[in-house]
This record gives sequence, structure tokens and C-alpha cells, in this order.
Amino acid sequence: MEGFRMGRAGLIVGLTVLIMSIGVASAQELTNPAIFAGTLFVVCTLIGIVAVLAGVGGGVIFTPVMMGFTNIDSYIIRATGLTVAMGGALVAARPFLRRGLANIKMLLFAAVPYTVFAVIGALLAGYVKATMGTFGEGVIRFALGILVIFIGLVFIFAGKRIEYPEVKHVDSFTERLGLAMAYWEESLGRVVDYKVTRAWLAMLCFCGVGLISGLFGLGAGWAMVPVFNLIMLAPLKVSAACSKVLIGIGDTAAVWPYMIGGGIVPLFTIPSLIGLILGTLIGAKIMLKVKAGFVRWLIIAIMFASGIRLILKGLGMMGVM
Amino acid sequence: MQPKPPISGIIYGEIAYWIAIVGMIIGVVGLAIYLGSGGGVMSPDMISDLLSGKSPKELWEKHSILRKMPESPHWYVNYIGKGDAIAMLGIVICCTSAIVAMWATTVTLFVKREVKILYGIFALIVSTIMTLAALGIISLHH
Repeated sequence: MEGFRMGRAGLIVGLTVLIMSIGVASAQELTNPAIFAGTLFVVCTLIGIVAVLAGVGGGVIFTPVMMGFTNIDSYIIRATGLTVAMGGALVAARPFLRRGLANIKMLLFAAVPYTVFAVIGALLAGYVKATMGTFGEGVIRFALGILVIFIGLVFIFAGKRIEYPEVKHVDSFTERLGLAMAYWEESLGRVVDYKVTRAWLAMLCFCGVGLISGLFGLGAGWAMVPVFNLIMLAPLKVSAACSKVLIGIGDTAAVWPYMIGGGIVPLFTIPSLIGLILGTLIGAKIMLKVKAGFVRWLIIAIMFASGIRLILKGLGMMGVM
Repeated sequence: MQPKPPISGIIYGEIAYWIAIVGMIIGVVGLAIYLGSGGGVMSPDMISDLLSGKSPKELWEKHSILRKMPESPHWYVNYIGKGDAIAMLGIVICCTSAIVAMWATTVTLFVKREVKILYGIFALIVSTIMTLAALGIISLHH
């Protein structure tokens, strides 16, 4: 208990010191490339740590925080947001596929609508940027603000997930697809042979999730896990694994229209990408030692703060305020 | 008896992982060269304009040695000796990893027939979309 308290206190102190040290760096110092890259790296490492402790992907926090608290062009932030979500997912996918935890059939089935709509979202982002100027930028920030507050509310009220959902009825469409697969569950020491259902509804949901991910440059694990777990009734671990692998596939397709539109600035993208991946690895180590339930509330607070900032910025850009 | 995970999935995971890692390493090396040499295709002065919210087009026109927005994301090819061009190469490799991996999975699905042929068709559709997006065929030409 004492060790837990010490660990928790150490984490809070560490986070506070880091945030304060970043705050101390003046705008003048930030224009130095090394300080800029170093600061970005530290911020993204921090985001990665906090994200893992709260059980979400770094990509879903990176974009709102950067768009809410910096003036950097949103197209560049969204392109980088997709790149960091994709990079993290590509690195994380390997063990899930080696162990058979990620169901390749469910993955490929979901990848079609998710990828198609992620690309459509990315193209839509380019269209808004090209045709609507500052007003379009305001609309994107405002809409993302609303979405981020909604995600925060999802974390508060719909956090219930089911480890092994019971499937009572499999519809004929899902039956014909034959999506179910067995996997070896280490913690139970046995094979888990599961069924899934409502594939048609999940397919519709993946269209929407893909569109949001591509348009706003967000990682979409927060939406995909509930679709797999609560709609298709796949086991929670399978849902999380499939979601991680799917982000790597869909976001790869969505990032290219942004890249062609000039959204990737290497000096901004590389420290963000490496920082988030390193933060994820550190966070995973800390998670083994610290009970970090309180971090969930920190993430919710960050989401609300970013959401409010985005809405205010968006309204300002649209000329409403 | 533990079920064997499908080989097509393992192939995707391994290829995507290793190519992404190589891309990230190249990206970090490129960034280090950029910081060490004090510049590259983009001038370091770009940071103040980046932080003030200038668009990619404005950044390229004002701070790059090209003085205009590149027409292709593969602008790094002509400047491969410069740090940020190497970093961009790393990012492109990273963003190509899932495409290569998905094509390998598609071929495996058709050859090995581990699962229904329908899933091979799904993989083919996804691979094609990813490739078309990467080639700039699915894009907005504005």
C-alpha cells in the first residue's frame, strides 16, 4: 500500500515537474530547433505515458491537445496525429497477431469500411482546407471540440466493457461470414472459442469511425473497442487487439492524402512519433507497478479542457465570438 | 491443444513491425543530422511560423530551398543528403510498411487458403485502396 502511494505521488510529482519545465520554456527558446524538438519529444512522451495508464491510445489525446493549446495549423497537427496513431499501432500489432489474439477475419472484415471512410475523411479534410480557409479551420476545431467532449463523456458514463460477452443469437449475415475464431487465453490456461454477432451493424459503425478518424486525424481505438466488444460481442482482449491492428491499416491509407497535401513536417512529426511510442513503452512498465485509476480522471480533465479550448478557438475563427 | 494463429496475420504483423522500425530509425537519424547541421531543405526559422499557425504552403514558400510547395510527398529524393529529407524518407518508409505487409497478407491468403476466399478479397480491396492513396491516385488535386 505504501509502495503504491509512493509510486502514485512520484508519478504526480514527475508529471507536474515536466509540465512546469515545459511551461517555463519561452516562445523565443522554442524557435531553436533542438529545444523545439526536445520539448515536443518530452510532451509527447508524457502524453504516451498518461494515455497508456488511462487505457487509451496516444493518438486520441495528441490531436485535441495540440489543436487546443497551440496555434499550429490544424492540417499539420491532424497529419501528424494520424502518423503517430499509425506508428504506435504498427509497433503494437505484432504480438497480438503472433498470439492469435487479433482475429484476422474480423480485422479484414472491418478494414474495408474503416479504410474506405478514413480515406474519404482525409480527402474531406483537404477539401475543407482548400475551399473554406479560416472559416473551415474554425469549423474543424469546433466540431473536434464537441467530439472530444463527447469522448470524455463516453469515458465517464459508458466505461463498462464486458470481458467475455455472451452471444445468444447469431444473425444469418454474421453466420455466413464465419467471423468467429478461437484463441489461447494464457490467464485462463484454456482455449476461448467465441462467437460474434451483428456484423452488419458493426460495418455501419466502422464507416462512421473511419470518417471521424480520417477527418480529425484521431486514433480511433476509443470507438472501435466498443464496436467490437459491445456490438459484435467479441471478447474484450480480442476487441482491443483487433482495434490496435486496424488503426495501423486504416490510418496508413488516411495519412497519404495528408502527406500529399503537405501536412507532414519532419521536424514536428519525428519527435511526436518517437515521443509517443517511448511514452507508451514507459507507461506500460509503470502500469505494472502503479494502480493508476486516477489517471483516467486526468485524461477526462484533459479531454474537457481541450474540448472547451477547441470550441472557443473554433467559434473565434468562424467569427461567432 | 493451442490453436495455431493464421500465418497470414503473423506475416502482416512481422512485416509491418520491422519496416516501421526501420523507418523510425531513419527518421531519428535524419532529425539528428538536421539538428546537427543547423538546417536542411526547410530553414530552422520555419519553427516560429509553424508555431504561429502558418499553413504548409506558406511554410514551404517562405522557408524551403524550393520556394514553393512540392508537388509530390517524395520531395526528399532530390535532397537525400539533407537531414529533414532523410527524416521524411523515414516517415515515408514507416507509412509504407502496412501497405507492403497487407499485400503480403493478401498473397498468403490466396495461396494458403487458411480462411474463406472472401477474406482474401477483403484484403485485396484494402491493399488496393492503400496503394492508390499512397500513389496519390486517390487525392484532391487542388
